[in-house]
Amino acid sequence: MFGWNGKILRIDLTQGTSRVEDLPAYLMKYYVGGRGMGARILFDEIDPRIDALGPANKLIFATGPLTGSGAPAASRFIVSAKSPLSNCVASPCCGGYFGANLKYSGYDLLIFEGKSPEPVYVTILNDRVEIHPAGPLWGKVSSDTEKAIRNEMKTDYGLDNWGLNCMGIANIGPAGENLVRFASIMSDGGRAAGRSGLGAVMGSKNLKAVAALGTGQVSIADVEGFRKAVMGFYAEARDNGEFQKRRRYGTWGLPGRANSSKSQAAFNFKAGYSEAFVKYENPEVIRDLIRVRDEACFSCPFSCGKRSRIKDAEYPLTAKGPEHETMALLGANCGLGDMEDICRANYLCNELGMDTITAGTMISCAMELFEEGHLPEKDLGYALEFGNTNMFILLRQIAHRQGIGDLMAEGGIAFATKYGHPELFMGVKGMGIPAWHPQAFDALGLQYATCNTGGSHTKSTMPFYEGRKDPAHFVEFTKKDQDYIAAADSGVLCWIIYHGPLWGEKLSEWLTHVTGVARTKEDLDLLGERIWNLERLFNLRAGITGKSDALPPRITKEPRVKNRVVPLDTLLVDYYEWRGWDKNGVPTRKKLEELALEKEGEGVI
Amino acid sequence: MKIRIDHKICTGCKQCEIACSLGHTGSVNPWRSRIRVFVGEEFCLPVIAGPYTEAACNSKGIRIAEGVDVDACVICRASCPAKSVYKEPDTGIPLKCDFCGDPPNPQCVLWCAPNALTLVED
Ligand code: SF4
Ligand code: SF4
Ligand code: SF4
Repeated sequence: MFGWNGKILRIDLTQGTSRVEDLPAYLMKYYVGGRGMGARILFDEIDPRIDALGPANKLIFATGPLTGSGAPAASRFIVSAKSPLSNCVASPCCGGYFGANLKYSGYDLLIFEGKSPEPVYVTILNDRVEIHPAGPLWGKVSSDTEKAIRNEMKTDYGLDNWGLNCMGIANIGPAGENLVRFASIMSDGGRAAGRSGLGAVMGSKNLKAVAALGTGQVSIADVEGFRKAVMGFYAEARDNGEFQKRRRYGTWGLPGRANSSKSQAAFNFKAGYSEAFVKYENPEVIRDLIRVRDEACFSCPFSCGKRSRIKDAEYPLTAKGPEHETMALLGANCGLGDMEDICRANYLCNELGMDTITAGTMISCAMELFEEGHLPEKDLGYALEFGNTNMFILLRQIAHRQGIGDLMAEGGIAFATKYGHPELFMGVKGMGIPAWHPQAFDALGLQYATCNTGGSHTKSTMPFYEGRKDPAHFVEFTKKDQDYIAAADSGVLCWIIYHGPLWGEKLSEWLTHVTGVARTKEDLDLLGERIWNLERLFNLRAGITGKSDALPPRITKEPRVKNRVVPLDTLLVDYYEWRGWDKNGVPTRKKLEELALEKEGEGVI
Repeated sequence: MKIRIDHKICTGCKQCEIACSLGHTGSVNPWRSRIRVFVGEEFCLPVIAGPYTEAACNSKGIRIAEGVDVDACVICRASCPAKSVYKEPDTGIPLKCDFCGDPPNPQCVLWCAPNALTLVED
């Protein structure tokens, strides 16, 4: 078989057993891989109304036919499960080495079911699948967990240095163990399947980590065609200024761009600009301050990752990031301006295993509550105005559920409601909204509000591209971009490189060369739309309706940035129409028939 | 012709391993590659497979590179009985870089987008 392995590895944690199944042909044909397959399996195998942290939830690590194929920036895997934060279907995407190794081990999908009676970690070396007690690992931060597992595997498997550093490990830190609802799954020294709180799902299953090392192969259908296409892509990228910038700065070019255009999340979204960020408007400054080396995910020519270092003995020698989202949410949004402080906040979240975006909106919410006098100092034990580095204490408290952290671990809605001001939590469907201020671009507001997984920016494209600012067209673009990203997430391709309209046609090129099954752009549009609608049906069944396609009142009522608010209600009418949904945001029978999903819609539409 | 390696530029992306495997086997499997990249925190080291040796040498030890300890066997290019790299995974046959045939057309260099690998004339 080309591209796919055609195998699912299913691990029952309750029983401590594993088995290998054939990957059904219809999944390859209609859902391709990654996010599409994840959504389909969740829809088929779990009741969307279950408790996301109960044993009935399933945790799916899904690669796609392109993962590990050598297609540029196709290292990636999707993790699918019901989210304990938004209660929606979740599909965060992660880079690093894990996805390719799962693939080279001979599987396309890895599904965890049930709940282990004791903490365990799982190792996969091709067909050697083992479940080990994780007692001594429990409580360890992410990087220590990885180190310990590498040491174990080095002896157990007799690996040399190269074999060892081929390995990929997905793991959780203390936040996941303690079921913090926005805990992330960490991987390979600072990569994350960050959004949606799937680290807590892993924790709820008593699964500390899963390590994969594969020595098998991905077969390519049309080797010559594929090689030519990749070389062609390289040549195009070489002459493209955007790409050169990506390679040099990763996402470090964005804080300045967002700040200077007054579009940056700042001070709990009260502003679009932070004085303290002016100095980062030239990204060379950030490079000079903290960069150690450029770091790519497996098989990625663009190396947007940057390893960094700060002069503080308490923090690891080098670490990954921070990315723009983290700089904005834990930085400008919390009133921090010092790059070393921002790095500390980033390291803390990564090591404790928490999503930096939602964590940033939690802290900024607490800061505003504190400054407005709604959150008394005695509840915290310290002052917490914007910019106060006591937020590092609070981050640790959340991860360990100590003091007020116990309540905050339940998410922003529970926390802000307890203090009487739910409107001060800047989230959609319980998930904190990302770095670009939606009042700067209506398209962003619409995107955040309608995203199937909650307030996320990686399920559509960015609003600066052609047409995305044009009031007459951006709603249509939002719908189309969402569908296209759903298809790319099924490849699985990296959003960082492929989110722009520029490289969209590459997906069909790579898929056709690698799998030997020709897929046109139209096929992929249909694939994306099918996935998007299936996810929507899952959410509707889970009780998440069109009413949740909402933005915080600060965004729709208080003109904070560019003296504008997002006219969400009118945008939604237009959007639902483009989607072929009714006025309540429910897919119509006609639309579902087009997508061959009418059976799936029964009882919902 | 030589392949010049600049470890300071290398990003650890391993596209070179993929290119080598694809070029020699028509499938993608880094374990069949004649170039192996050792990924470190501070820097990465691409190493290209050299000649086969029948016996392991006894000069093993630690070398210092960029202020970091590096296992000498990591830098050594030999396919040797003491280590598992540079061997076909199924057959154990030693692997050696052949510059991708005659005339040389090193795929790893072409696939190394950051130019950590470049072709230089002798
Ligand atoms: S662009 Fe960045 S995140 Fe994406 S695959 Fe490459 S290195 Fe990883
Ligand atoms: S020159 Fe060819 S054979 Fe040698 S390492 Fe590079 S790709 Fe492999
Ligand atoms: S392709 Fe180049 S940058 Fe990537 S790992 Fe190989 S030598 Fe390093």
